[in-house]
This record gives sequence, C-alpha cells and structure tokens, in this order.
Amino acid sequence: MLEYVFILPLLSFAVAGVILAFGKWLPGRGASAGIAVAAWGFAQAAILFTKAIQGKLALPYEVSIPWFSVGSTQATLGVYVDGLTIAMLVVVTAVSLLVQIYSIGYMRGDPRFKRYYAYLSLFTASMLGLTISDNMLVFFMCWELVGVCSYLLIGFWFEKPSAAYAGKKAFITTKLGDLGFLVGLLSLFYCTGTFRISEILELAHIGFIPPAAAGAAAILLFLGAVGKSAQFPLLIWLPDAMEGPSPVSALIHAATMVAAGVYMVARLYAVYALSPVALDTVAWTGAITALTAASMALVCFDLKRVLAFSTVSQLGYMMLGLGAGGFTAGMFHLTTHAYFKALLFLAAGSVIHAVHTNDMREMGGLKNKMPVTYITFLLGALALVGIPPFAGFFSKDAVLAAALARNPYLYAVGAVAAAMTAFYMARALVMTFHGEPKDMKKYDHAHESPPVMTGPLILLAAASVVSGWALSRHEIFERLVNFEGVLPFELHHVSHGAVALYAGTVAVLSMGLGAWLYKSKPGIPAMLRGKFAPVAGLLDRRYGLDAFFLKFVALGDRLSSVLFIFDLNFLDAIAIDGWAWLTEKLSRIQRWFDDNVVDAAVDATGTVTLCAGRLARLAQTGIVQNYLLFIAVAVSVFAALAFAG
Amino acid sequence: MSLLSLIVFAPLAGALLILAIPNTRTKAIQGVAAASSAVCMIFSGYLYYAFDKSTAAMQFIEKVSWIPAFNISYHLGVDGLSVTIVALTALLTLVSIIYSFNITLRVKEFFFWFLLLEVGMLGVFVSLDLFLFYVFWELTLVPMYFLIGVWGGPQKEYAAIKFFVYTLFGSLVMLLGILALYFNSAPHTFDMLELARQSSLFPLNFQIWVFLALYLGFAIKIPAFPFHTWLPLAHVEAPTGVSVLLAGILLKMGIYGLLRVSFPVLPLAAKWFMPFFIVIAVINIIYGALVAMAQKDLKKMVAYSSINHMGYCMLGMAAMTTIGFNGAVLQMVTHGLITGSLFLLVGVIYDRAHTRDIDAFGGLGARFPIFAGLMTIQVMASLGLPGLAGFVSEFLCFLGAFEAWPYYVAASAIGILVTAAFFLRMIEKVFLGPFNEKWAGLPDMNLRELVAIVPLAVLTLVIGLWPRFCLDLIDPTITYLVGIVNR
Amino acid sequence: MTLSHYLALSGVLFTIGLFGVLTRRNIIGILMSIELLLNAANINFVAFNRFLYPGQHLGQLSVIFVITLAAAEVVVGLALVMAIYKNLKSAYVEDYNILKG
Repeated sequence: MLEYVFILPLLSFAVAGVILAFGKWLPGRGASAGIAVAAWGFAQAAILFTKAIQGKLALPYEVSIPWFSVGSTQATLGVYVDGLTIAMLVVVTAVSLLVQIYSIGYMRGDPRFKRYYAYLSLFTASMLGLTISDNMLVFFMCWELVGVCSYLLIGFWFEKPSAAYAGKKAFITTKLGDLGFLVGLLSLFYCTGTFRISEILELAHIGFIPPAAAGAAAILLFLGAVGKSAQFPLLIWLPDAMEGPSPVSALIHAATMVAAGVYMVARLYAVYALSPVALDTVAWTGAITALTAASMALVCFDLKRVLAFSTVSQLGYMMLGLGAGGFTAGMFHLTTHAYFKALLFLAAGSVIHAVHTNDMREMGGLKNKMPVTYITFLLGALALVGIPPFAGFFSKDAVLAAALARNPYLYAVGAVAAAMTAFYMARALVMTFHGEPKDMKKYDHAHESPPVMTGPLILLAAASVVSGWALSRHEIFERLVNFEGVLPFELHHVSHGAVALYAGTVAVLSMGLGAWLYKSKPGIPAMLRGKFAPVAGLLDRRYGLDAFFLKFVALGDRLSSVLFIFDLNFLDAIAIDGWAWLTEKLSRIQRWFDDNVVDAAVDATGTVTLCAGRLARLAQTGIVQNYLLFIAVAVSVFAALAFAG
Repeated sequence: MSLLSLIVFAPLAGALLILAIPNTRTKAIQGVAAASSAVCMIFSGYLYYAFDKSTAAMQFIEKVSWIPAFNISYHLGVDGLSVTIVALTALLTLVSIIYSFNITLRVKEFFFWFLLLEVGMLGVFVSLDLFLFYVFWELTLVPMYFLIGVWGGPQKEYAAIKFFVYTLFGSLVMLLGILALYFNSAPHTFDMLELARQSSLFPLNFQIWVFLALYLGFAIKIPAFPFHTWLPLAHVEAPTGVSVLLAGILLKMGIYGLLRVSFPVLPLAAKWFMPFFIVIAVINIIYGALVAMAQKDLKKMVAYSSINHMGYCMLGMAAMTTIGFNGAVLQMVTHGLITGSLFLLVGVIYDRAHTRDIDAFGGLGARFPIFAGLMTIQVMASLGLPGLAGFVSEFLCFLGAFEAWPYYVAASAIGILVTAAFFLRMIEKVFLGPFNEKWAGLPDMNLRELVAIVPLAVLTLVIGLWPRFCLDLIDPTITYLVGIVNR
Repeated sequence: MTLSHYLALSGVLFTIGLFGVLTRRNIIGILMSIELLLNAANINFVAFNRFLYPGQHLGQLSVIFVITLAAAEVVVGLALVMAIYKNLKSAYVEDYNILKG
C-alpha cells in the first residue's frame, strides 16, 4: 500500500503531459483522463486514511532513491509518509477530484479547455509531490512548481490584462517569501547536513540543532509560508488571484496550495518547537493576518474576494494554532477549512457562472433560482462561521483554545476575527441570495448549474457538515496528526467547553446581527460606511499594503533604470569608451609629436643638406673658364704654399 | 588521429571545404557546414558516452611535441570539467548553424568563420598546454570579429571593434601571466598539469600578481563586473546564431579558465582573492538583474540576464567547495542551454516582426502557442524554476557558497526575485493581455527553428529532472580539484 | 742666353696663353690660347733638354709628341666646337653653360 504512494504524483504528472499532447483525442478533451487519475488518487488516499486510523500502517514510512550526488552530499527522491502526510493527501486528492469534476461544467466551451486540465493535473502532481516528499529540497522544488501552476492558472484567461497582472503579482509576491525560504533551507542544511525530513526531525528531537540556529532557520522558512499562505504582510496577492477561474480558486487558493505554508510549518514543527521566538512569530503573524483579512472582508463587494479575504483570515487561524502550540488544532482547521472553503468557492463559482458578475451589489434573491447552490453555500458559510455542529466549529474552537492556552491576547485577537467572520459571511450570504434582485436582467438570466457542478457542491457540503464532528470523534484526527516533541513553553489550562460555548455564542450573535442588518436594515451599513468613510477606504485599500509594495516595485524600477544609466553612461561610456577616447587623444598627441618633432628632425637634415647644396651650386656656373680660373688659382695657391713650405 | 583531434579539427575540414565551393551554391555550403558540425557533434556525443565517470584523471590524452625548444607540446585531454562543455559547444554550434540557414548575405564566408570559431572554442576546452590554450583562445577572436562586424545589426562595426579590442586587451595581460608562469617554472613549461604540480613552489606574492593578470583576461570574458560592458552591445549587434555561441560558449571560457588554470595552479592566490571575488559575484547577480529589468529590448534583456547568471557561477566558485564548484560547472552547461535557446527564440520573433521592443507586442500567447510555450519554458528555466535545468545548478551554487558566505548568499537571493520580476513582466507584455492585431499575419515557428530550439528545451528538462546526466561526469574531477585547491 | 731666358719666355708665353684661355669669349680664341700653352711647354722641354741633358734627345722627342698631340687635339676640339655650334648657334663660351648646377 504505502509502497505505491510515490506513484500518485508521477501519475498526475504523466497525465498532465498526456492531456497536453493527446487531449484532443481523449474523451472529454482530456478531462476524463485527469478525473480518472484524480479519482484513483483519492481512492488511494482514502484507503490509506482508513488504514491509518485503524492503526494498520507502520508509520512513519520512508523510502528514497538517490537523485544526484555532489562530493559527499547526496540529494534523494523519496517518500515520507506519516499521519500528517496522510491527512494532507486526503485533502489534496479529494478537493482536486471534486474540482476537476466541477470544472467540466464550469469550463465548458473554453478554447483552452485541454490546457486547463493539463495545468490542473500538473498542479495536483506538484502538490502531491510536496505532500509526500521525504526531503526539503524536493519539497522546495514542488513548492515552486505549485507557485508556477498557480501563476499559469490565475492568468489562465490572459487576454484580460487584470488576469495577466494578477498572475504575475502572485508569482512575484510569493517569490519574495521564497527568498526567505531558500535562505532558511540553506541554513537548515548547514545546521543539520541533510535535506531529509526524517533526519532533520530526529536531529531536532535530540537537540542537536542549537535553538538560536533553529529559530533563525525556522523564521526564514516561515517567510516562505508568509508568501505562499498569504500571511500578513504578503497577503496582497491572494485577493487579486481571484482573477482565475473559480474552481482554480477553490483548489489552489483555498484548499491546497495556500495551505502548503501551514503544512510546511507543521512538517518541520520539531524545528519550530526548538525556539519560542519562532513559534511566537508564527502565532502573532497568524493572529494579525486573521484580524486584518477579516476586517478587509467586511467592506468588500466582490463575492470571490470576500471569500479570498476569508481564506487569508482562516490561514491566519491555522498559523495561530500552530504557533500557539496547537499542532493538531492548526492541521485540523486546515482539513476542515479545505472542504468548506472549496465548497464556498465552487458555490460562488456557480453563482458567477449564472449571473456573470462578481459584484454582490448586482446579485440578490438568487436563492429561489439556485436552490442547490444556495443550500450548499449556506452550509459552507455556517461551517466557516463556526456554528455548532458544523465542521468549522470544531476546528476553530480547537485553535482558539490553543491560543488561549498560550496567551490571552492571541485568543482575544482570534475571537474578534471570529466575530468579524460571522458578520461578513452573513453579509455575503444575504447580499447574494436573499432580498430583492438588484439587477433584473442578470436575475432573469440566472439558472441553477448543471448536475456536474452541483454534484461536487453537495459532496463538499456533506464533508463540511460532518468532517468536524466525525474527525473529532474518538480523537481520530488527533491520533493521526499529533506532535510528540516538547514545546518550548508552558501552556495554561483551559476549559474547552467554555471556549466552545463562547465561540458558538459569538458566531451565532454576530451572524444574526449581520443577517438582520443586511436583510432588514440595509440602510444602516450604508450609513455606517458613509460615516466612517476613511476607515472603509483604508480597508478597501487593504491598509495600504498594495501601495507599500508598489512603492517598493517603483523603487526597484527607479534603481534599475538608474543603474542602467550608470552602466551605459558611466561604466561603458566613461570607463571603457573613455579609455578608448583617452587613448585616441593620446595617440593624436603622439602623432603630433611624431609629425612635428621626430619627423621634423629627420626632415631638417634634408633641408640643411639642400641649402648647403644650393650654396655650393652657386660655384657651378657651367662656364668652363670659371672652372679653369679656380684650377689656376688653386694651383697657384698650392704652388705658392709649396714654395713657402 | 585520435578522438579529441577529430572533434577539434572536423569543423576546420568543413571550413576548408566550404572555401572550395562556389559562392552561389548556398545549399551546398549550408550542407557542408551542418554536416561538419554534425560530425563534430557525433564525435562529442561519443566522447560523452565513452567518458570514464569513475576517475578524476585526464582522459583521451594526446601529446605530441610541437616546439621542443620552448617545451611546447600539442597536448590535449578532457576531464569532468571540460567534457560537458565540449559536448555543449558541439551541440550549440550545430543548432546555431541550422538556425543560421536563414542568413543570405555572403553565406560562404559566414559559415567559414562560424566553423573556424568552433575550432577555436573546442580547442580552448581541450588543450592542456597553456601556449596551445592561448592560441585557440585568440583564434576565437578573429572569426567573432568578422561575424559581428559583417553580419551584425546597425551598430555592428562599433560592437565588433569594441569586442575585439576589449577582449584582446584582456588576453594580452593574460599572456603576460602565462609567460610569468613559464619563466618561473622549473623546468620551464607551459603544461597545465605540470604547472599545477609545481604550484606549491610559487610564493604567494608571485601567485597574486599572476592570478590578477590571468583574472583580467578571464574576467573580461566571463564577464565580471565592471568588465561587462562589451557584452550587451556585442550580443545585441551579433546575428542570432552568433549571439548563441557568444553567450553559450564564449562566456564560459572565462569561468573555465579560472577553474582550469587559476585555481589549481595558483591556489594560494585564489584563496586570497575570494573575499573580493564573492563581492564581484554578488554585484554581478544583483546588478545584472537590475539592469536587465530596465531593458526595453528583448535581446538586451537576455544579454544582461547573462551577467546575472554568470554571477551564480562565480558565487559557486567563491565557495571553494565541492558543491559550489559542481554548481558552477553545471551552471555553465545549463546557462549555455537556456540562454542559447532564449537568444534563438528572440531571433525567431525578430525575424518575423523586425523589432525586439517588448512594448511593441502583446497577447502573442494566444496566436503563437508553440513559440509562447517554448519561450515560457526557457524563461522559467532561466529564473530557476525547479524541474528545469537552471534550478539545480543555481541551487548548488547557493548551497555551496552558503557555508562560507551566508550573508552574501542571502543578499544575492534578491537577484532571483528581480530576475523573476523582469522575465514575468516581459512575458506579460509580450504574450499576455489582448492580442496586438498588428502581428496577426505572422506565422508560428517553422521547422528550421524548431529543429534548432527543441533539442535545447528537451535537454533543459532532462538536466532539470535528472542532473546526474551531467553531474556524474563532473563530480569526480571537481572533488579532486577541490582537493588540490584546498591543499 | 741662359736657361732662365728660355724659362722666362716660356713663362710669359704660358701666362699669355692662360690669360687667353680664361678671358677669351670666343671658343676658337680659347683653342688658339691652348696652343700657346702647349708651345710654352714645348719651349720648356727643349730648353731643359739643351741645358740639363745636352747629349740626349728626350726633350725633342717629347716636343714632337706634344705637337702631334696638339694637332690631334685641335682636330677633336674643332669637331666638338662644330657640333656645339650646330646645337647652340653660338661660338661664345658664356652660352655654353649646360653644366650649370
């Protein structure tokens, strides 16, 4: 059973290539192949899960083959399976399968249908590879690959400039976090001398890694998670990522890829647990993210973006849970959240498919037209808000309890965010499905989605309703996913019952308030919005985070053009061409010297000779008598001298 | 005649044959050029296959005394350091020749110079005698001068003369270094292996001076900041096929020279120089990336990104560790493949649209799926996407350098971000968004272009997924080399 | 009559001849003056022979040789004069300056 886990990503990978190459001839233009593989993968994961909770598997399971080696360092390709892996596998395969089924309806008639399925399969392959990898190097590779798939799928409708821009933004923002991940990975390697997760965990357990080094590496790695899981302050990319098709948002930007950061922290939890600073960083980042994102969702009118902010906020909860020492709580929330948030996105997709707008102000009253979508959305919303006994109630309660056990302030932040969650979900629900239709043309056009889309909705709704209860029964999930190491701090004792009671009450009250306000007194929110316009504006502008990073980008651009000017006009023009210019000038001077001094001297000898010749020429009259006279005179003189001497 | 000589001189035979063909018979000239470089490629492939992966020693050695009076010999050989690059050279030349079938101006001379260039490049990588090395080194210069100067773009004369004079300046200083080595060895020798054996006899001061002299020659070729300014100009002005070789092979001669000559022969100086070298590497990475971001011209962007990528090579070398050296050598190969194909792809679009201005395009992705797909793959490889070749080599460079220079490595990671930023921006502007109807009539890639580019893309993928394809050959030599350098 | 008288005569004759050679403008005159020079030399020959070597005839022989030579010289000289005259249409030596530097 476990021996075949490695096939899961390979098969998905292969099928991506097959769809791209032969999709034209496959039934359903390749969708069938993708769905078949995803179904098989889900079946495998389900079997693994069942066996694991029955205790029939020898966990952790590990196997690897050498990939390449340099010097004494070896990189491997391998599989590491423990309870955490299996929990994640189930989430990934289940959501992937349902999303692929749903997409048949959603993407029908798209000119790049085949490519869409290939990308989905490639994403699933990378995500599965990330989940089961036995070493951090391959983990990192898959981490980057899911990022690229996300890039390709966000920008799937790339003719729309906003989609192309959003894809790029997502890629670069997450890449910013990945720089931290890369450096963290490198430093972790130099703490431990290995990439293998089992060895790293082992070394962390026995305290081989110095806590300071572990903390530094952990925080650096966490930067990667901040990018990937859209934590504060890198959360800016996720709302824009909603430019992609809705099923993609459900799969990548709600259930799986964005949870990869959480999964990574959980995967290396033993390293994090060595350093209270690292854990606190995780917890507080999560808490701040949960609060800020929830507050942004309060004023947003784009249905998918409300859900996106909600996702960011819930990811913050997961981080909060992990950072507060609630390992199981964080992962539990990841699991339940995957179902109900995927459900919400798919339901939202169904709505958008029907009315062709994302703007909630143009919707309203759709519950009559789209009953299945409405019911499932309602169930998902209840699960998200944390109304007992839906899934979110159990997991969020666990997270909040963990936060309270660690630090009351963390808990307070989480509780406020929970109240906001209930409010904005009530708002979204009411604006979309209740009340009077705002845009009659769109309302008339709306219709319930085909069964191929509602089917997955119903299945996910079922999971959203029961998964919390089912998994917490007999502590099934806790036995599967738990942390056996020692936390670096003491936890307070908290009463789960009290927390649950409080959380449930707050959720019900807040949701009720929201529903009442938006249903019966729609004037009040509008009035409040008018009155607190600066606050609403700040929330709309996402606390200026976008502007902040854009300023960064602008700075980079300015720097780049300044450097280019420097390169062109200084380094090249002055330093190099300047040399050439100087050399040329110097050679001109040399030439002048050559012409006017050296050559002139040579010429001068000639001139002197010439002048002398001219002088001597005067004697040559050509008249023979003159010559004779000279001879005569000379002879006379010599003769006189001879006689005198 | 043995294998290495065959590899080096097969293109020469082709070049001489081309001289005998009349000007007008273009097809025959192209055929002979492709055939002789294909022969060279086949021999190199066999060399790659027959190479013994278990030893660090020189293989396929040929040694014939050439000028006995000065102890100069015709001494060839390959080890893990050079074998991959020899194969890369043969491959890139072959695909560039195939790509260059679209050249119509003075075809005969073009291919003559092209093949002569191949002789020079191959010779540099297989010669073990410094004198021979220098001869081949200079032999690359003249064909390149003509290839840029005759078949280049609008500023070709300026680019050609700049390239020629700049690199000639560097190599003359390098020659001084070589002569210094010759006269200080006992007995006087140009033999690289013999000089490496004598390295412990050279005092530090002497090593530093010689190292700097050699470094100047190599740094101009790499090109290391601040000696890089010839590169964008030469790359942009050169015809596509020549840009490929310029980026793919000629830049590697600098790195190769450092690894083959400077490090083993002058280990003390190399160690002395590393604190400077790492700074230069980081500057190359960040500066190259940032300047590339400012480019509006596709080809210039790729050219500046080469500076950035050579920075990774230098980063790996600065570590003086097995991992880093492996990364640097692999990076030479992967950069050759990736940037080579990027230049070809830029050539493809330029041949059609007659512009390389990034802002002039838009939405090409929908109409030219093959071109967009290949371009995206190679751009992703260039920005270090896992699963493609660039990632493995860059990661090894980072990993190798991190132990010795953690903060520099952390700083140079910014280069990755900037690279991603400008490449994605380029993709967004050229391939995404609404289609620019101006380019509606352009055809997608033709067979000639596919034959040239697809092999490179396939190799990019192969090395990315299975780096042992190269690393198994490289590693033993590098392990041995690191042993020598750190002795 | 002593040797000195002869020598004086010869000197005067030579001086007259030399003067003529140097000052005459007409080429014919110069040729005639050259004859005077030669004859001054002849007188010397004869005088020295008579007074220094009375029994011998070497001087006389030389004189005859010189006379023969003078005759030949006049022949060649006049031929040259004729040739020059034909070219330059002048018998005056100041026109004969093609050797002028």
